[in-house]
Amino acid sequence: MTQLLQVHELSKSYGSHKAVNSITFELGEGTSTALIGPNGAGKTTTLSMLAGLVAPTNGSILFRGKPKPDIRASIGYLPQYPKFFPWLTALEFTEMAAVLSGVEKRRALSEAKKTLEFVGLGDSMKKRAGTFSGGMKQRLGLAQAIVHEPELLLLDEPVSALDPVGRRQVMNLLKELQQKTTILYSTHILNDAEEMTDQLLFLRKGVLVENGSLDSIREKYANPRVLIEFESVIEAERFTAISPWAVRVEKKQVSIDAVEEKVGTSEVLALLHTESLHIRKVELQTASLEDIFMKVAVEE
Amino acid sequence: MSEIANIPWSLILPVLVLQLILMVVALVDVIRHQRTNGPFILWIFIILLLGLIGPILYFIFGRKQA
Amino acid sequence: MSSLNALLRKEWRENVRNFKLYWIPIVFVIFGILEPITNHFLPEIMKSVGNLPEGTDFVWPKFRGEDIFVSLMGQYQIIGILVIILAFMGSISGERKTGTATLLYVRPMSFSQYFLSKWIVVNVIVLASVWLGFLAAWYYIRILFNPVAAGEVFAFLGTYSLWLIFAVTVVLSLSAWMPTGGTAGLSILILLVFQVLDGIIGTYWTISPWKLSTYALNAFGASVDQSDFWMSVGLTIIFIVLLVFFGMYMAKRNAAKTLV
Repeated sequence: MTQLLQVHELSKSYGSHKAVNSITFELGEGTSTALIGPNGAGKTTTLSMLAGLVAPTNGSILFRGKPKPDIRASIGYLPQYPKFFPWLTALEFTEMAAVLSGVEKRRALSEAKKTLEFVGLGDSMKKRAGTFSGGMKQRLGLAQAIVHEPELLLLDEPVSALDPVGRRQVMNLLKELQQKTTILYSTHILNDAEEMTDQLLFLRKGVLVENGSLDSIREKYANPRVLIEFESVIEAERFTAISPWAVRVEKKQVSIDAVEEKVGTSEVLALLHTESLHIRKVELQTASLEDIFMKVAVEE
Repeated sequence: MSEIANIPWSLILPVLVLQLILMVVALVDVIRHQRTNGPFILWIFIILLLGLIGPILYFIFGRKQA
Repeated sequence: MSSLNALLRKEWRENVRNFKLYWIPIVFVIFGILEPITNHFLPEIMKSVGNLPEGTDFVWPKFRGEDIFVSLMGQYQIIGILVIILAFMGSISGERKTGTATLLYVRPMSFSQYFLSKWIVVNVIVLASVWLGFLAAWYYIRILFNPVAAGEVFAFLGTYSLWLIFAVTVVLSLSAWMPTGGTAGLSILILLVFQVLDGIIGTYWTISPWKLSTYALNAFGASVDQSDFWMSVGLTIIFIVLLVFFGMYMAKRNAAKTLV
């Protein structure tokens, strides 16, 4: 896999506050990467630096292996709250965006129309952006970010301000774009991250605390446990007394660390069967991304 | 008061027409947008009552872009 | 070049749709018409509504057409300049504050062209407005006073236009540098307060952009040391060029201050 973007020890300080603290990562061509972290973790600052809006205090950004002073021509950027000139129509704005990003003038209008159709603003392209709803603005924001077919798409919280319907629609658009281009997007909503990602970057207080594929991070933090829910507290206590494995009891629920005790559901079921204990369910629990997030990005 | 009548109104008419245009444009804009810095009813009065200054004040201070 | 075009179109559309392209010329033309009319009819108006005591014979100065140009320019120097400052103080700082600039600044756009697009469009609007105002006044002056030679009028307008371009450049470059409030304050200081200062203590020097308006009036007959005039023209042009570069540089330096 060729690397499209290599970020090395990128930092941004505001006075003594380190908004982004020496982060290093790479984006493979054609991959989708989610930048995850709580509010204030440095996601927006990182994206602003990559977009060329904010000058890094330190560190380097290589594009296709070369340092480029200005990668703005190769990227499309959607800020969290895109602001439009309210007096320009969607088509006028998108056409201008295309020209300013280097699309030939004679192609700009047709490209703009095509892109607006793609994001679902085909019927509203002659309306002024000032009259647009939040969802429409987000689509227009997406249109201006992709109209020049950039090699890298930077999206800052692309769906978090949207209602469930709008979010679904924009997610579907992003999945389509995922086929054609490299995407780096930030989010604090893990379902979104789970849905389209090859790589996860966890940011906490400006530091990159975890970096890897969804599967590898899952595996690392999975922490599988066998969970048994009994009919009654008495039965749970009986099981605890005879269990050959170390257990954790919580009322009717008993859980066993599957890795440390080297145990699976079948051994547990066999024991339950011979002891004829009444259970409601037995399951192998793995940590959800939510749990991993809490562990990696929030915990001190 | 007879001298007032001597003033050739045809000379002043263009000024009145221009003022009227200014006022109408400002009023149409206020009523269509209904979004101003401060209460928009107030701006309607300013535009209507302050003569030439009213619409100018509205365009500079009252008009909200976004 | 095509991106400068795109930016020029954006500026033009903005000024059409926020009505600046219409209301600013109308305001200047109204002043241009009213000045000769009020000066011509003032004695009559005062006589009829002024309740002057019986027997007072107030002697009104006899105005020539050229004098009306002088007094109209006096109006534009205060009210006109104030309108220009207030109308365009937010040209760049406003785009940063609302964040509308962000989606421009993330593109491979040249900040020189960005500044230039605003500079060109604002100058066109301001110059057209002031010219229309003086041309309207010229017409009324011919009817109410005496005809003024075209050569004199255009010589005056040419020089006065350079001062206006200077004023526009000050406002825009400050807007690139500071927030809108600071732009307003410093513009008023530079364009209005300095004007007064130059009038009061400016007898010690003869070369300054603030003297251009006075020199412009010399087109109507007064004799003047031509070398001082041309030195002032040259100095103003140098200031304009320097301020344009300053504005381009500041627009770029402040790009990160745009609301994200």
